[in-house]
Amino acid sequence: MTAAVDSVRTLQLREIGPAERGTRPEEVVIALSPAFGDPFTKTIVDVPHAEVVRQLLAGIEERGGSARVIKVYRTADLAAIAHFGAKLSGSGIAVGVLSRGTTVLHQRDLARLSNLELFPQAPLLDAEVFRMIGANAAQYAQGQSPKPVPTRNDQMARPRWQAKAALLHLKEFDCIDKNRNAVEVEPVITRVD
Amino acid sequence: MALVIGVDIGNSTTEACIAEVGEDGVDRLASSLTATTGVKGTPANTKGAVTAVRRALSAAGRPADALATVLLNEATPVISGLAMETITETIITESTMIGHNPDTPGGEGLGVGMTVALEDLATVEEDVPVVVVVGAGADFDDVAHLLNRALERGVDVVAAVMHGDDAVLVVNRLARRIPVVDEVSAVDRVPLGMLAAVEVAPPGRTIRTLSDSYGLASTFDLDAEQTRQVSPVARALSGNRSAVVVRTPAGDVTDRRIPVGTLTLSGSGRSLEVGVDGGADAIMEAIGRVAPLADVHGQSGTHVGGMLATVRDTMTDVTGQPASEIQIRDVLAVDTVVPSTVRGGLAGEVSRENAVALAAMVRTSRSRMQAVADALSSELGCETLIGGVEGEVAVRGALTTPGSSVPIAIIDMGGGSTDAALLDRDGAVSAVHVAGAGELVTKLIDSELGLEDREAAESVKRHPLAKVESFFHVGHEDGTVQFFTDPLPPNVFAKVVTVTPEGLAPVPVRGSLESVRTVRREAKRRVFVVNALRALAQVAPQGSLRLLGSVVLLGGSALDFEIPGMVADALAPYGVVCGIGNVHGTEGPRNAVAAGLVDVHAGTAAGPVTAAAS
Repeated sequence: MTAAVDSVRTLQLREIGPAERGTRPEEVVIALSPAFGDPFTKTIVDVPHAEVVRQLLAGIEERGGSARVIKVYRTADLAAIAHFGAKLSGSGIAVGVLSRGTTVLHQRDLARLSNLELFPQAPLLDAEVFRMIGANAAQYAQGQSPKPVPTRNDQMARPRWQAKAALLHLKEFDCIDKNRNAVEVEPVITRVD
Repeated sequence: MALVIGVDIGNSTTEACIAEVGEDGVDRLASSLTATTGVKGTPANTKGAVTAVRRALSAAGRPADALATVLLNEATPVISGLAMETITETIITESTMIGHNPDTPGGEGLGVGMTVALEDLATVEEDVPVVVVVGAGADFDDVAHLLNRALERGVDVVAAVMHGDDAVLVVNRLARRIPVVDEVSAVDRVPLGMLAAVEVAPPGRTIRTLSDSYGLASTFDLDAEQTRQVSPVARALSGNRSAVVVRTPAGDVTDRRIPVGTLTLSGSGRSLEVGVDGGADAIMEAIGRVAPLADVHGQSGTHVGGMLATVRDTMTDVTGQPASEIQIRDVLAVDTVVPSTVRGGLAGEVSRENAVALAAMVRTSRSRMQAVADALSSELGCETLIGGVEGEVAVRGALTTPGSSVPIAIIDMGGGSTDAALLDRDGAVSAVHVAGAGELVTKLIDSELGLEDREAAESVKRHPLAKVESFFHVGHEDGTVQFFTDPLPPNVFAKVVTVTPEGLAPVPVRGSLESVRTVRREAKRRVFVVNALRALAQVAPQGSLRLLGSVVLLGGSALDFEIPGMVADALAPYGVVCGIGNVHGTEGPRNAVAAGLVDVHAGTAAGPVTAAAS
């Protein structure tokens, strides 16, 4: 996956309308937080947002699934974002992603604070992990039972990254727009050579 | 009136039955059940026996000092050992083939060409069919871009083999739809510049050309002798959705039988040697020829030899007899399959290798039950008597099942051994113990499903299966659908689960519900049905099952949700009445020996006691 991270790609989220409920039974919704892609462009460990979205979509495509991407503006709470996405998803499965990288796999029938798989340590998520998360989301949507993505754990992640995470969260919080409805977006990923 | 308690120490459970015994008969008060501590017939059993006694006393609401007599069974020291031995092995030499089944290969069809690394694609001449080998770390967009550029230049790219899980992604981005096999972990060992064939079947199908000897012959232009040599390759690939075969000068796939030692069976005045690699049927047939079995030895230095030595050593500890005096009186061999990694494979291929599971049983004359009895006496402060031959007492207990009558046969299906006994009209009892019971079933389930988790295998054995379809409904193995008002926990979502009294528990397998169910039922059939027939044939008059009137099933495994039905089905053609024991009309298949001990002590006549405890 090294080549993937090294090559430079940019992400533009082109708005295509209000976020609505999907009907395809194998569809996965990727729900992005208010600052994802704009103004933020990379996660807490500098994984470009273009790569996050590209790998999630690739994981879903490799497993024969389909995906829609939505952007949520009213909250920066990951559980709320993912659960909102899950309720719009044709399969009931959604991947929620915060700008700093924290990710959760959600299902619409679960309680909001529950989840299928949670990846709480954003500094440990790289392109490869996002690919596996996408692949698992597609498999859940198809009614299969994938092995959970192996979660890494690093005791030093908290002391090392907590301050930065808090700052990033505050910045994301500033991007919340209580009056703006969630929109469906088309991710346009451009390669810059 | 005297308060008497019967205690039955079994291989896995210790049962107790408490009763008032007086002039006018037996008044049963309560029963209890606990796990056996230590190996059956050793002083370590005392702890479990005391627990069982205390529980029975408290259930009956009697103080401990009211107890007059504890009755202990003369536990036949029957212990069993288990071993499993893989007898076939698939070895791939010189990277001839990749036979794994990635979840998502790309494209479909057959592509035959020279293997070329992705980096060298630019130097390949036009119109030469090539199979591109993509190493680790390549991004799917880059790979697709490079392949498309080569196609534009006129290079005949017919197939690809990749390291990452990218096959569908790459194929979706190509100008030409080619078969791609991915997730080949050792892709750097694929020989370059060799003729190779890549085949991917449509979803739900299996490959047809590379899994067929003549298909391979046509693909690689082989003569008759070469075709003979590659036929193991074809066999190894059958059933796959995708495969790669590389034609190398010396490459080969061997499917060989591993010499795993021999068993020396002695009995009826002669001895026979049988190779374990012959499989279960050959072993069981040899055991039949030397019946009754006197002893079994395994070839030293082999697993079988080691396993039989372990059984002997355990028995030496239990009885204090020297190992040379301990004889193995029965062996049950069962054919099984074990998923194991193919040696020399490039993609972590797993093949299902044949294996033989063995259960061996030892029986000695001496037991240390007296030590247990002494310890119990001092612990409880009352008299402890050892009495009754296990088979006889169990039959006595089984006879209290409403609807049963003499002659009666019992099958006691426990954890370590399966026992059968027959009480004929003259009051004579004959009993046998055969190796293999619940523990062997658990082991077969564990290894065949590749669980490597005894608890999970035990759960699969004990409980029916279901598939969690959504957070609000499950499909049971019999096809019924059950709905829930509260959402199920996320850890069971979309999983195959066992339906336990504590709730749903996920089974850590990738296979379907049907495949798990088949493994479970086959394991039970090969152990319990085979053993029930084998043991009954040994006690039946003239060895004929038709002459048995009725058969009562006892023991923990008789509580299983499907074993009694399977045994009854197997006995039905012999005109035998077969059912689950219901000791004293209340205890079910449990407690037969404990209740029988009390009855024998009280000297009550054998016969159905309809007005039982009440």
